[in-house]
Amino acid sequence: MILANYLTAATLFCLGAFAVLTRRDLIKIIMGLSVMEASTYVLLVSMAYRRGATAPVLAARPTGVTEKDLAHGNVADPVLQNFCLTAIVIGVAVTAVFLTVAVRAAQHYRSVDSNDVRGLRG
Amino acid sequence: MPPANDDAPRDHSGQAPDEEWHRPAVGLVVTAALAAVLVVGVLGLPRELAPLPAIARHALLIALPVWGTTEPVSEVVYGSRGFDTFGETFLLLAAVVSVVTLSRSRESRDEYVGEAAAGRQEQREHDPSRGDGGEEGEARQAERDEEDGDDPLPDPDAIPLGEPAPEHAAAMSVVVRTAARPAAIVLAVASVYLAAWGYTPGGGFPAGAALTGVAVLLYAALGHRAVSRFVRPAVLEPIEMLGGAAIMAIGLIGLFLKNSMFANWVPLAPQQTIRAGGTEQLYSASELVEVATGLTIAIFALLGMGHDWTPDEDEDQGEGGAGEP
Repeated sequence: MILANYLTAATLFCLGAFAVLTRRDLIKIIMGLSVMEASTYVLLVSMAYRRGATAPVLAARPTGVTEKDLAHGNVADPVLQNFCLTAIVIGVAVTAVFLTVAVRAAQHYRSVDSNDVRGLRG
Repeated sequence: MPPANDDAPRDHSGQAPDEEWHRPAVGLVVTAALAAVLVVGVLGLPRELAPLPAIARHALLIALPVWGTTEPVSEVVYGSRGFDTFGETFLLLAAVVSVVTLSRSRESRDEYVGEAAAGRQEQREHDPSRGDGGEEGEARQAERDEEDGDDPLPDPDAIPLGEPAPEHAAAMSVVVRTAARPAAIVLAVASVYLAAWGYTPGGGFPAGAALTGVAVLLYAALGHRAVSRFVRPAVLEPIEMLGGAAIMAIGLIGLFLKNSMFANWVPLAPQQTIRAGGTEQLYSASELVEVATGLTIAIFALLGMGHDWTPDEDEDQGEGGAGEP
């Protein structure tokens, strides 16, 4: 039942959000954000799933099956699979920026505790 | 065993007090509210028996006749959603630029407005005896030399076998170094293969990530010396810009020739051949360049963040100077 996947994605998202809300360690906050990102991958791939479906590939189709039959038949959603690919790339890019900010903050303030890095100083 | 000289006080669990939960009750309430909204949302999502949305059916129907590809996912990445992929690519580029800017070592930026040059000119006019060769000049030169950092470590391959391991290993053992070289070649070829054959979903993205993995593998196994010839800003940044420019050119040519950004303007080749997919292949190859160089720049910029920006006066004041003025 695909609803279990959806609820797993929601749970992962909430776990990540809870970490972001309740931790003050910048690295742990970034890990929480990464878990939230990963939950979207679970959700998108799960939403693309169709019971008993084939992969969205037009090569090696069964004899007599055209792409029109495939489009109206049982096949996984290629658009949502593409969304997942996009989400992964953006997740990597955003995490790289977060990590760089965390490293720079740690070098500047000698701390990765967000309570210590609130002071604005040149 | 706990570290002998750890500045942060730690409790019995080994956690520093700073790492305790911050307002867990508030976090729990907010998270519970978020969970309720999410559960209501996911209950309304289409399930496994729902028909495909119209956009998915459209992608399946046009993949072969319009793009000559048997991979609808690739068609969506570089065709139907080509403009979105374009934006995503430049989001990656923006992230790389952010990482490079943030990770850059402290440098003199006063030259930008010309004050430093004007100051030096004035000094030469009024006090020619204090030129660059003075005590201050020597100190500045010494600082520059220190920052440039001559590599005192020997080439790992030049160390005879059987020698005791060096104190500061610049590379891994001869076994790993020997295995890493052919593995890097195989992985690099496999990466390009991923992008070259047009029926790989996404093509250039996973291929670019795999090529970055090759650079990181060589760095881990052979040390920075082995990759420094090609993993440096002067090489990677122009190549990344070329990848970005190629993507823009592919989109704009489609706009001029077919009145649609990223429309196919290349004659279609037989399906499942290396040229299948029309401009999708060019787009994918450009993404390979963009993603591989962008991720490599970001990773090595992070690895190279050695410069400590903490002001010196904090060190003089002792502990507790966590950035507060």
